Amino acid sequence: MDPVVLVTGFLAAAVRVTTPLLFAATGETLSERSGVINLGIEGTMLAGALAAALGASEWGPWGGLIAALVAGMVTAGVFALLAIGARADQIITGTAITLAAIGLTGTVYRRAFGAAGAGLSIPTFPPLRIPGLASIPVLGPALFEQPFPTYLALAGLPVVWWVLFRTRLGLALRATGEAGAMARAIGVRTRLMRAGATVAGGGFAGLGGATLVLAQVGTFTERMTAGRGYLAIAIVVLGRWHPLGVALAAFVFGLATAMQFLFQALGTRVPYQLFLMLPYLLTLLALAGAVGRVRAPGDLGR
Amino acid sequence: MQFIAPALRNTLLKASWQYAVLMLVLLSCARQDTNRSGSSFRVGLVVPGSVADAAWNSGAYAGLQRIRDSLGLATSHIEARTPTEQIEALRTYAAQGYDLVFAHGFEFQDPAERVSATYPRTAFVVTSGRRAHGNVSPLIFRLEEASYLAGMVAGSLTRTGVLGFVGGIELPPIVAGYQGWVNGAKAMNPRVRTQSVYLNSFDDVAAGREAALALIGAGADMFHHNADAAALGLFQAVKEKRGVYVFGANADQSHLAPGHVLGSAVIDLPRAFLFIAAEIRKGNFTPRVEVFGLKSGVVRYVAASALDSLVPVKVKARMAAAADSISSGKLVAAPRPASMQASALGT
Repeated sequence: MDPVVLVTGFLAAAVRVTTPLLFAATGETLSERSGVINLGIEGTMLAGALAAALGASEWGPWGGLIAALVAGMVTAGVFALLAIGARADQIITGTAITLAAIGLTGTVYRRAFGAAGAGLSIPTFPPLRIPGLASIPVLGPALFEQPFPTYLALAGLPVVWWVLFRTRLGLALRATGEAGAMARAIGVRTRLMRAGATVAGGGFAGLGGATLVLAQVGTFTERMTAGRGYLAIAIVVLGRWHPLGVALAAFVFGLATAMQFLFQALGTRVPYQLFLMLPYLLTLLALAGAVGRVRAPGDLGR
Repeated sequence: MQFIAPALRNTLLKASWQYAVLMLVLLSCARQDTNRSGSSFRVGLVVPGSVADAAWNSGAYAGLQRIRDSLGLATSHIEARTPTEQIEALRTYAAQGYDLVFAHGFEFQDPAERVSATYPRTAFVVTSGRRAHGNVSPLIFRLEEASYLAGMVAGSLTRTGVLGFVGGIELPPIVAGYQGWVNGAKAMNPRVRTQSVYLNSFDDVAAGREAALALIGAGADMFHHNADAAALGLFQAVKEKRGVYVFGANADQSHLAPGHVLGSAVIDLPRAFLFIAAEIRKGNFTPRVEVFGLKSGVVRYVAASALDSLVPVKVKARMAAAADSISSGKLVAAPRPASMQASALGT
């Protein structure tokens, strides 16, 4: 087999697997930087996926994308209302939101598409070839022949970085996450800040769910996010709460997943579970301090 | 004592409150499909995934509906994914005095035996189970016999000589199906190479697509699967590539990727469910191992009519001959691993 074709295919697969993770992890970075740990992100992605399916079958892929953005923000809004508005425990609230979203999406899906279920044929985004860049050997086809949501995820990254580290808003947001009481003392409206970051993060998670439906499988199935939201939380830790680190960490997870598919498909004797385990091992090492200093935002979860 | 009592009372109140909520949740999970008056015989179904998966679980649900409509019995079902939920669901039905409970999958054998020990009145039927024990009876489906026929088509039509298989979790019945498909293909074309990818999930449809794309990258042009809802990703991947074909599993799936599905290895679950429920309803049933293969008509290979012209007449003749040999026991589609051997009470 042609090794160039193989490597290109592998890289393209890694980018595909990374995209939904990157959306969710970027969103989670925003909310964790403001001091909110949102375990509801798994359910938020699922809500985004269903909204994308419903929206796209009604108004096409663009409509689906917008519906997913709104659904993600609404789901995160409910979380914010409880965890920030009513000061409920963040961990428990987040878990409850995810469980509720699993049940609710399943019910709505069956109401909308029938209890027997079937593969839907939802219109999807075709691969978008970027002239010039796509002609780069090996890397070009892998990176620059992807559907639109991939570019959106890549574009969102520097924007989030710029907001967090180059604007007054970002400074206030980070201060809220590090030391809420002090931020309040200098006049930052910390609860508003946290709610805003959480809702914006939910929008990203919704887009992550939409990517699965609109750029990959063209159908919805119950629980189709299959733990990607929780992966995103691990990715934020591995990426050390920094957008660029998070992007790198998401790609590591994507590479590992793509690699285990490739190894199984080629019939390699190495147990594929080893590759599935790798990113988690890295996360543990990161938490243990092996990848340099790791410190969570000071007021995270409070 | 006075100081402790209020605290204790509080704890107890809290505990009973939590218990009530838990019970409420469990009860609300069980969906009462009908509650016909006049019939006291009740049938429950516990499925390990969504009944909207267009395959294994939706087939069981259709079987339950057939029982309700044909026999006029009261039915209900619960979706339970984790082992703890599964045994709790079985116990819930048994404790409510259900007469017959279908436990839909290989993984239910041990939980059913354990619950049956406490509730001997309830008859448990474990689909894809492995042995009869107490009031627990397995239904064994030799899906690999139909997969063997699918493999014969794949082996004779493949251009690249590489066959791909996408599995949910590496459970013995799924491995047997894969083996049957491989053996069928090798019977027609000894040089074919076969590759399987397991997802560790029956829900992750995006992983199903990635697995298929990786296999296509490795040269596969014929696919078979056993991954329930996650397999929808495989059908999506196949739809996008010309000259790549897929064989459905558990249900007739030719509508999932029109023009790309050559046929399906089908289990007629409603027929099997109705057969066993009717017998248990009559009351003269003794627990036993019930095996369904090609011979029974419950397991069969269904060719997709749209692509039937692609399959040469000579291949069809050999398939008919192979089906006869399998039915008469002269040909074994796939040897069953020791963990699946039915230890006999009834056979």
